[in-house]
Amino acid sequence: MNRGPEGEAVHVGEAVHVGEAARVGAAVSAVVEQVFATVARVHDTALRALEREGRRASRAVLPPGTQDLLHEPGQLAVGLGLVVAPRPEEGLPLRLEWWQVDPGDGSLRTLEPDLRPTSLGYYDYTAAEWFDVPRRTGRRHVVGPYVDVHGTGRYLLTLTEPVLAGTRFVGVAGADVPVRRFETHLLRVLGPLPAPFVLLNDEGRVVLSTAPRLLVGSLLPPDAGPPEEGTPVAGTPWRLLLVRDGHRLAG
Amino acid sequence: MQLLSGDARRAVFAPLDDGALRSEAVVRRVGSAIGLGLLGDGEQLPTEADLATMLNVSTVTLREALAELRKLGLVETRRGRGGGSFVRSRDDVLAELADARLAELGTTDLRELGDVHSAIAAAAARLAASRASRTEIARLRDIVDRLASAETVTGQRRSDGRYYIELAACAQSVRLTMQEMDLHLELGQLPWPPEHAPGLLDVIVAGHRAVVDAIEDRDAARARALAESHVETRTLWAIELRLQRLGGAAGTGDDQRAVS
Repeated sequence: MNRGPEGEAVHVGEAVHVGEAARVGAAVSAVVEQVFATVARVHDTALRALEREGRRASRAVLPPGTQDLLHEPGQLAVGLGLVVAPRPEEGLPLRLEWWQVDPGDGSLRTLEPDLRPTSLGYYDYTAAEWFDVPRRTGRRHVVGPYVDVHGTGRYLLTLTEPVLAGTRFVGVAGADVPVRRFETHLLRVLGPLPAPFVLLNDEGRVVLSTAPRLLVGSLLPPDAGPPEEGTPVAGTPWRLLLVRDGHRLAG
Repeated sequence: MQLLSGDARRAVFAPLDDGALRSEAVVRRVGSAIGLGLLGDGEQLPTEADLATMLNVSTVTLREALAELRKLGLVETRRGRGGGSFVRSRDDVLAELADARLAELGTTDLRELGDVHSAIAAAAARLAASRASRTEIARLRDIVDRLASAETVTGQRRSDGRYYIELAACAQSVRLTMQEMDLHLELGQLPWPPEHAPGLLDVIVAGHRAVVDAIEDRDAARARALAESHVETRTLWAIELRLQRLGGAAGTGDDQRAVS
């Protein structure tokens, strides 16, 4: 028997209802793909602009109007944009072209993070996982949930993909989805569920949970099951576990 | 114009609470934001009208505050095209402001501030022990290392503030993070203990390392207790320094050693 943070029994295992796990997994994938579709549009817009005009130190890559994607009906993202890798040898500074929906009045604002290393609020984005992973792997990535303390100040999932001009890494295109919005949307899509489930990221952190004892943001207790357990969710670095108190479900 | 984002910006330009000496409150807020590096040297402040709206003070009050900041040398105003008010970071002036602030606060104020900070930091440490990922723990260690090697008072102060803010972020809590940000704008108005007693930096670094060790061991109770007692110790330093400034009448021999 496993114990949760308060010593209560927490049993985690794969679904008896394999079909149910598949259904939840497919819904999660669909939501993630929906956000990545927005990211892809930012990516394509950036590439077209780069092909047409190249990159200049004094000018934004993304054309005006790109941010209007945030106001499209059904948009889950509250922030999107392009983070351009600095290229000091060519005199090209780092550049953050990022917009976010103001939580107050819904207007669009550009994000101007604190990029001075000497500041308490310094945002070292080149070390941020959402920038570093796509740069290193050349593949898209989902980060979170995390408190975006030096950027937007929200609790977020950030989805990014690398922008490559030929083979050259230019930067990342991405979108931010608040964890709350992701949860609300997904639970509405899923409707009634036969068993509680927990969605875990690649760090074993709960992304979404319908088991009250496994809270979003917490790490799955180390004794709750082997790290490879669960159903991988296609197109994400996540896995899905169905949870049932009292007895362990067959894998 | 380099503006702040997220929590930091919200905290620096949040409306000031009602109070009698509002222009002084503006001076203090801007002073601590400079001390924490949230407002950088040479950075342009928003226009008078915008700043007055953000801080919820009248333009008259704001002008008084800007005049005072200019007198102190923390703000420089240039006229004409490309003009405006620009930040000047001056460690000597910030230290004087901090001493003046300490003199104006009572020991009860310091205790209250310490009580809240201890509650927030202890809760953050407890939660971080079960929620911080390995990456986040490594980042905390990195910040504490930077604190240990920071050579200037402002560098130390910033790393210390950043440690607490990241600790709250490790707890996966936006609200605790915002609370820490707000608290540090207040704590940043007070003297930095190692400035008066350099040995205290080692105590602070060791205190933070012990908390991070407990978080890494996933020992929530220990992380909590250590974070709490560290903040309590620092609250006592501030109170001792405050009393000492009254004329050295207060404190036992041990207390004297701790702050001198």
